[in-house]
Amino acid sequence: MNPEETKEFEQKIHAFVGRENGPPKKGKDAVNEPMIRQWAEVMGDESPVYTDKETAKNTTKGGIIAPPSMLQAWSMEGYPMAGSPAVDVQRSLHNVFDENGFTGVLGTNTSTEFFRDLKPGDEVTYHTVIESISEQKSTARGIGYFIETVTQFTDQNGERVGKQVFRVLKFIPADAPAEASSVADDSPAVPTRIAAPRGHDNGWWWEAADKGKVLIQRCKSCQTLRHPPRPMCGECQSVEWDSIESTLDGEIFSFTVLHYPKVPGYDYPLCCAVISLAEGTRIVANVVGIDTEEVKIGMKVKGKVEQVDEKTMLPQFYPVAGGQ
Amino acid sequence: MSIDTRDFSNVAVGDTLPPREVPITSALIVGGALASRDFTTVHHDKKAAQKGGLPDIFMNILTSNGLMGSYVTNWAGPDSCTKKIDLKLGAPNLPGFIMTLTGEVKAIDEASGTVDIEVLGENNVWGMHMQGTVRVQLPKGAEA
Amino acid sequence: MTANVKDKAAIVGIANTEFSKNSGRSELQLAAEAVAGALEDAGLKPSDVDGMTTFTMDNTDEIELARAVGIGDLSFYSRVPHGGGAATGLIHQAAMAVASGMAETIVCYRSLNGRSGHRYSSGVSGNLLTADAIHWGWYMPYGLVTPASWVAMYTQRYMHLTNCTHDSLFEVAHTMREYAATNPAALFYDQRFDRAEYDAQKKIVDPFRLYDCCLESDGASAVIITTTERAKDLRQPGVVVKGVGQAAAANMESMTSFYRDEIAAIPSMDIAASKAYEQSGLTPDDIDAAVIYDAFTPIVLWQLESWGFCKHGEAHDFVMDGALRPGGRLPTNTHGGQLSEAYIHGVNGIVEAARLVRKTSVNQPDKEVNHVLVTSGVGVPTGGALLGSMDTL
Repeated sequence: MNPEETKEFEQKIHAFVGRENGPPKKGKDAVNEPMIRQWAEVMGDESPVYTDKETAKNTTKGGIIAPPSMLQAWSMEGYPMAGSPAVDVQRSLHNVFDENGFTGVLGTNTSTEFFRDLKPGDEVTYHTVIESISEQKSTARGIGYFIETVTQFTDQNGERVGKQVFRVLKFIPADAPAEASSVADDSPAVPTRIAAPRGHDNGWWWEAADKGKVLIQRCKSCQTLRHPPRPMCGECQSVEWDSIESTLDGEIFSFTVLHYPKVPGYDYPLCCAVISLAEGTRIVANVVGIDTEEVKIGMKVKGKVEQVDEKTMLPQFYPVAGGQ
Repeated sequence: MSIDTRDFSNVAVGDTLPPREVPITSALIVGGALASRDFTTVHHDKKAAQKGGLPDIFMNILTSNGLMGSYVTNWAGPDSCTKKIDLKLGAPNLPGFIMTLTGEVKAIDEASGTVDIEVLGENNVWGMHMQGTVRVQLPKGAEA
Repeated sequence: MTANVKDKAAIVGIANTEFSKNSGRSELQLAAEAVAGALEDAGLKPSDVDGMTTFTMDNTDEIELARAVGIGDLSFYSRVPHGGGAATGLIHQAAMAVASGMAETIVCYRSLNGRSGHRYSSGVSGNLLTADAIHWGWYMPYGLVTPASWVAMYTQRYMHLTNCTHDSLFEVAHTMREYAATNPAALFYDQRFDRAEYDAQKKIVDPFRLYDCCLESDGASAVIITTTERAKDLRQPGVVVKGVGQAAAANMESMTSFYRDEIAAIPSMDIAASKAYEQSGLTPDDIDAAVIYDAFTPIVLWQLESWGFCKHGEAHDFVMDGALRPGGRLPTNTHGGQLSEAYIHGVNGIVEAARLVRKTSVNQPDKEVNHVLVTSGVGVPTGGALLGSMDTL
């Protein structure tokens, strides 16, 4: 969008501010036990006041109540949302965003107040007003606008039972995957660590790691050890080399603990260290088996090659007991 | 399952709730969406979610609200009364993630008998999924 | 052998676009605006330009940019590698071209949508298919994937060996922010913080919290370099290149030179500094102000040591004396730096260094400023330039 188009777009969306989404509307179902039970099952709500009539009677509630956090559920449109949702004012507003490329939608905040517990038989009426639309924001998800709506919930007697402020982000997806996977795959995708690309000069090292060994490259001509591997010896320019296996006895030369950003496939806080090996070369690897706050420069460590996720074998170093 | 309700006098600022690990599965995401009658496609249709820029279906906000609410009421007990849930959403919850809920009592109000619990739901992949404050009213004085 | 570039070339035009989190336009357009701005500042026409130089990392092609701005025939073009280490490399290239007669008027530019486009903080990924991939492969599987984490590894070692503490890291971050607070062009204009706020920020990687790390921003910067002779007749007072060094010290890796005997130092900058001092005949005592690359707070400390403002390992004491502040020994990053003005990969720093020599910085020090140091990013092969006023000829 050029600046004029942006201006026109913003005028269009701001015209929605202050409008009611529609007249007050009654929820499709009265508060009822089956829906409460289903909710409690999924959410892991253990309280007997949601599901156990007899026990609930003997509490201060005097009988079954609906979980307070379920309030908004009594106002949901339900199945039509999946196909042809009713075109209310809020939907028209979203359509204006969609037409302009802001196809992403994400709930970002809710603030819900509960004025009384709801019991089976209560009938909830809801009334939503579009409260505000932010200026354009640059977010982690992409460029977008926050839309804030306020919904008042009342009961069959017109008494207020709750109020909810709801904030959603409508945004231009920053990097939509080019092609949606067409294979039905319901297995959880557990991310793995970023793999080292393997080439002519380093592939042999990673293949040894896959078999549980850490090797150190050695010049066949002058016996100098080197890591990370390189095709030529910097001391004597020989391209002939073999390797020795490291004992993985080491000492922490420097380290850092990573907190943010959290890259999928890694556990945080994550300790990475430069380790001086007994053989005289250094290696970068994780330090594990210790509270990251306790890691110190100079600490003695011992490594072993471990499977750290489904696909990755890596040297991991552990503190040596009493090895300060 | 505990049917005892925590007494207001037994709660102090700094008290922590036992952490709860919630494995995020397609079943939980879809089940939560249906229980909250939220049939928005991104919560049950992977392709629709991908069109919106995410790799898979993701948890709807009503389920996050529900999990936060139940985490606190399971701790507070059946006679507690939830007054307010303030929730800020962070990174989405996707199938395969594990979310850990932790909570800490941040404030208590003697006059109203209410306790503010700060709850953090962090998933193991993208970090903060939700953080917020739940206000519950607890009964006072078991001697009464 | 000493390079023969002293007093041969001068910066005669400078410009930045506005800095933002979302420029709303292409990197090519940002570059074109910055270059046109710098030409306007110099009082030169696009057709006067016959050379161009930028970063290998820049996405804006020279000839696309030349066509956009209306620059005609080119007889010199070059690119400098190694990310932010390239910043003063642009001066290095241009000064050599001018001194040798390969070209007369050279545009140096850098343009990036570093916030709304690709963000460097997202780190390296497994999708790299360059020769560099093998190198990153030694770090990615362990999770050492972000610039902050690589610099942290040197920093922890440095703090272990010297008396450097969070006090001096804060001093650097706070000084930059105070300058930015009075620079209307800075992204952090009028936004100050105190120690409590600094300490309360989220941890990024130990020992860095958020304010130890630079901004990510959109924008472009450009400078025009020509012969000192020609500079005498142009609209603005020329800013003379007195000396410029560029260096990659032995046993170097990009950002991860963890295999040297000691890693609590940046030997590449030591070499660049000695080259620049040698060419210019200047010493640290001659330098009145500085623009020091500040992607992360501690790298300012190490560069102060490399350039001889204090001994190796003693930068903590130097900055705790207020040396970087407005009335201090070496007012530094008077624009707010990359920590608080904007992250244009150090080229906005060259613009500010030129302003300091022209005496037009919004935070111009009270004292007389004849010589200014400007440096490039470190951890990678790096460099620095010593600039002086026309009066120093």
